[in-house]
Amino acid sequence: MNSMAQQEISNEPASNAAELMNRVQQGDMNAYQEIVRLYQRRVYRVISSYVRNPDDAMEVLQDTFLKVHTARHTWDKNCSFSGWIYRIAINAGIDRYRRSDRGRSSSLEDVMESQLHESATSRPGGGPMDSIRAGERRRALEKAVRRLPQRQREVVSLRYFGEMQLEEIATLLDCPLGTVKSNLHKAIMSLKAMLHAQKGVFDYE
Amino acid sequence: MSSCMYIQPLLVLYAEGALERDEKQLVEAHLSGCPQCNDEAAGIARIRGWLADPELFAPQQDMAWRLLPEKLAARVRAPQVEQKRRFPLRFPKWAFSAAAVVALACGLVWMMRYRTSAPQLAGPAPIRAGNEAFLERMRTVYAREATAQYLNACQELLLDVMNADTTCGGERVDVALEVSRARELLRQKQRLETDLQVPEAARVRDLCGQLEHLLINLSMSSECESGDTLRDMERYIKKEQLLLRINLLQSGIS
Repeated sequence: MNSMAQQEISNEPASNAAELMNRVQQGDMNAYQEIVRLYQRRVYRVISSYVRNPDDAMEVLQDTFLKVHTARHTWDKNCSFSGWIYRIAINAGIDRYRRSDRGRSSSLEDVMESQLHESATSRPGGGPMDSIRAGERRRALEKAVRRLPQRQREVVSLRYFGEMQLEEIATLLDCPLGTVKSNLHKAIMSLKAMLHAQKGVFDYE
Repeated sequence: MSSCMYIQPLLVLYAEGALERDEKQLVEAHLSGCPQCNDEAAGIARIRGWLADPELFAPQQDMAWRLLPEKLAARVRAPQVEQKRRFPLRFPKWAFSAAAVVALACGLVWMMRYRTSAPQLAGPAPIRAGNEAFLERMRTVYAREATAQYLNACQELLLDVMNADTTCGGERVDVALEVSRARELLRQKQRLETDLQVPEAARVRDLCGQLEHLLINLSMSSECESGDTLRDMERYIKKEQLLLRINLLQSGIS
């Protein structure tokens, strides 16, 4: 069973992904599985910033990796693999968001969801206060990130969850580096403003 | 000293290390004497720290998550087989026109021959492949039976795994028998492999793929497995509705 618990490798060198993709292009299914293992967590986190429901996020994740295989011959080895896969993932995530999540941000479901989270985290014996606080903060931050305008969310998501450099993001989004920087600035300031209001969770003293 | 109004818009990029050297020096000089901008910088650093939390937007890493690479590889392989089989049936649009022209030409040639030449003796009649058709039918029947038997054995094993409660000390559960049954079923699955490659077996093949992952998982377990691992498997069985899907397929097969 232990061998099934595959640990993902973070910050894997891009050259490794490129080498694996070369093998995938030649039909090597082991290399394909390795690519999935290597990127599944990072891609999931990027998708999750668009898609709230974990089951939907898993579906989008699977669609993304299936598309990676279908479109494997369109990947150019001179381009960043991360950029290519995140483009696929973001497009799929945006599609799903448009179809199912938009306009539901303040629905009854949302209220019930937050109550559920609250009761799950505040039940007696649920753990030390610190971890409860960290959980609440995480959920509030996730919610705030999803409320950012699309371009700002893209930049934050690719920078922090996709672990990309600002220059890579500019190439991926096909916009000037200055635009990426200004969107990142606006995003951080918006998050700061949104979270500042929740003093119980975010300690600003 | 520069005004806070000019410095504050640079603080996020300063924290990111994305400023040019002269801008960076300007910000550092300002920060050394401005408590207000220092507070602002600290607030930005906090947000960046929270965003760097690896658990933010993180997936629930259960068994389905760990099996994702294998599952996707199986899904990628499945349509390839179907596509290969379907390929001869796909024709470009012009092929239909070409076929019509060829058929017309053949008809004309036949009509001309019929009118001009003497009747010829018919050649030897093709041998009807009756035996082959019979053998093919038998093979299909055998494949169905073998698949139904395999699914039945898998279902029994899954139920036993879900109900396993013989402890072998502490929190660990004795699954020695289940492990050896899983190994046997994996061997059985290998023998079924060819039969499952036909396009009609796509659904069975998909389910068998998922069952195989679980069997591999179980076969690699220790004889005294932890309760957590078994609960993990149980969750997977329930989440993927494996028992229900086996039932549905069995009624379809029989």
